[in-house]
Amino acid sequence: MRPILMKGHERPLTFLRYNREGDLLFSCAKDHTPTLWFADNGERLGTYRGHNGAVWCCDVSRDSSRLITGSADQTAKLWDVKSGKELFTFKFNAPTRSVDFAVGDRLAVITTDHFVDRTAAIHVKRIAEDPEEQDAESVLVLHCPDGKKRINRAVWGPLNQTIVSGGEDKVIRIWDAETGKLLKQSDEEVGHKKDITSLCKAADDSHFLTGSLDKTAKLWDMRTLTLLKTYTTVVPVNAVSLSPLLNHVVLGGGQDASAVTTTDHRAGKFEAKFYDKILQEEIGGVKGHFGPINALAFNPDGKSFSSGGEDGYVRLHHFDSDYFNIKI
Amino acid sequence: MAGMASDGTQYDPRQFDTKMNAILGEEGEETFYTNYDEVCDSFDAMELQPDLLRGIYAYGFEKPSAIQQRGIIPFCKGLDVIQQAQSGTGKTATFCSGVLQQLDISLVQCQALVLAPTRELAQQIEKVMRALGDYLGVKAQACVGGTSVREDQRVLQSGVHVVVGTPGRVFDLLRRQSLRADAIKMFVLDEADEMLSRGFKDQIYDIFQLLPSKVQVGVFSATMPPEALEITRKFMNKPVRILVKRDELTLEGIKQFYVNVDKEEWKLETLCDLYETLAITQSVIFVNTRRKVDWLTDKMRSRDHTVSATHGDMDQNTRDIIMREFRSGSSRVLITTDLLARGIDVQQVSLVINFDLPTQPENYLHRIGRSGRFGRKGVAINFMTSEDERMMADIQRFYNVVVEELPSNVADLL
Repeated sequence: MRPILMKGHERPLTFLRYNREGDLLFSCAKDHTPTLWFADNGERLGTYRGHNGAVWCCDVSRDSSRLITGSADQTAKLWDVKSGKELFTFKFNAPTRSVDFAVGDRLAVITTDHFVDRTAAIHVKRIAEDPEEQDAESVLVLHCPDGKKRINRAVWGPLNQTIVSGGEDKVIRIWDAETGKLLKQSDEEVGHKKDITSLCKAADDSHFLTGSLDKTAKLWDMRTLTLLKTYTTVVPVNAVSLSPLLNHVVLGGGQDASAVTTTDHRAGKFEAKFYDKILQEEIGGVKGHFGPINALAFNPDGKSFSSGGEDGYVRLHHFDSDYFNIKI
Repeated sequence: MAGMASDGTQYDPRQFDTKMNAILGEEGEETFYTNYDEVCDSFDAMELQPDLLRGIYAYGFEKPSAIQQRGIIPFCKGLDVIQQAQSGTGKTATFCSGVLQQLDISLVQCQALVLAPTRELAQQIEKVMRALGDYLGVKAQACVGGTSVREDQRVLQSGVHVVVGTPGRVFDLLRRQSLRADAIKMFVLDEADEMLSRGFKDQIYDIFQLLPSKVQVGVFSATMPPEALEITRKFMNKPVRILVKRDELTLEGIKQFYVNVDKEEWKLETLCDLYETLAITQSVIFVNTRRKVDWLTDKMRSRDHTVSATHGDMDQNTRDIIMREFRSGSSRVLITTDLLARGIDVQQVSLVINFDLPTQPENYLHRIGRSGRFGRKGVAINFMTSEDERMMADIQRFYNVVVEELPSNVADLL
């Protein structure tokens, strides 16, 4: 497969997200401007201008009308997808990391980093249908035991009843989204040994995949937090994604960005690696980036995927027919 | 050939090391330098003011790089510093953070002067200074040649905290007293060895004479030859030094290759053969003279290859447009002289071609350091004629690097 190289970001990619229909792809980078692309041919549709810092994460509503972005400029913003108009700004006094709309798009979960005297936190915000009525009130604020550890990702669990989080303290937690009570957390024995960097839910919310600097990705049951599978690679994992069509998972990463230029050129390993979800065996890899992969996403139709790297490129790959006939 | 290294002496490792040891002295010996060993592995631990921290995190930094872990603190404490680190590993953010931490924002007068050898680099530094200092409300101005003096005077009149400039323009503004020096307490030389070389040394000296006597001095570069260190003794006071050995300077993350083109006349053909590969991401092609930039640009365009070009003789407006187009990716192949060998940071440059080998040894490292920036691998290809073989061998020995013959599948490496 010959990838489509999407050029538009002037700094490293941080996150990629398709809309529900899979015809739009949103990318976030450290250059302040989330960008919208046609997911079929990689043509750029537009940018969202207003943030004053690196943008770490985004999410799009089910009907593709609203975009939410989390930025290191200590804000999360709501946008009108079509016009690029900025609708509302949530101000936190700490870098904003992860954002996720709830089912029904009436709520959003937003994580903020530790900053000076503010501890890392998970915030639940109500999202008004009418932007004029939007307010900044938090429905709920959750804190982890070590307030200095970054919470890299928090997403809604099934039916918005729970929130699933993971981050620098290596622990995956499941919280009650109504009461804020901690329901479950990952067992230290089977859990990740280093920072959790990324998290991807299955389409049916029955399970999710986490990536970690410990060079593994792990598959978990969303309700019981039972470890189902572990995928082992040789470099830190910065991004993970699940195929909606086949029992495949994809991992991306590479050595730490700060070590890339001062170590041997063979040490990078910036490939997207595919694994059989059930057998935990590597199927193959896709090369191309010349910096660590920071973001991965499958198109909801399962027929293509995108990767974003430290090199500033988004690479869009449409699978060959061979991919759908892989035997192990 | 004019400018060719005289029989390899510039690449003499033994001579370099002997001079370096004479300046640095033996371990334990009383020297001109201050020892400083503190390492901070997070920005939070550096006790930076909250608004500066906000700017650092907003920029997208999460953890300090090696030079930042060692280099920011001594600068923030007002110490003179000499800081060397490999290309693309975070030196600019180190001195920008050090400058910003020490500014008195309530005093809208120039308190820090940063000098860089090229206009493009000065503008790039100013951009980083503004980004990191945004929450502090810092006012930074780039004062470079080729732009409106009147505009610079107008901005300086309204008050700035930091001036980032090129020596000629800055000296002119100081001389006219458009830039007042009395509140300047920090003086930074980026690409310091270039700034202290024959071409700039006198201008730097003239500027330094106009600064307050107790000014803090910081010098930064990826290359720091003994000649440059010798000069720093004249205007620095017991500096903290962070130096890298010459054989550890090269970036192992940049794959280095040579192509034996045999004759000068065959370089163009070789470049055209590589053109398809060049345009995959972004590439910089270095040649040694301005005239040759024009010649090569014309030749490439006459063969229907799309290229951009820039050099010091072009007017500033054109240079700015070329640079903007290259940064944004609308142009992908840039032909230039050593004007852009130092400091320039463009995200998607993954290939450097030395159409001519550099005449100054340090520029080899600086040129190939335009690819392989922080977090990205790169490739460098050297065109070698039979006359260049000696120099190529000298470079390999001097920097302890292996330069292999270019394989046929170079596109796979990018």
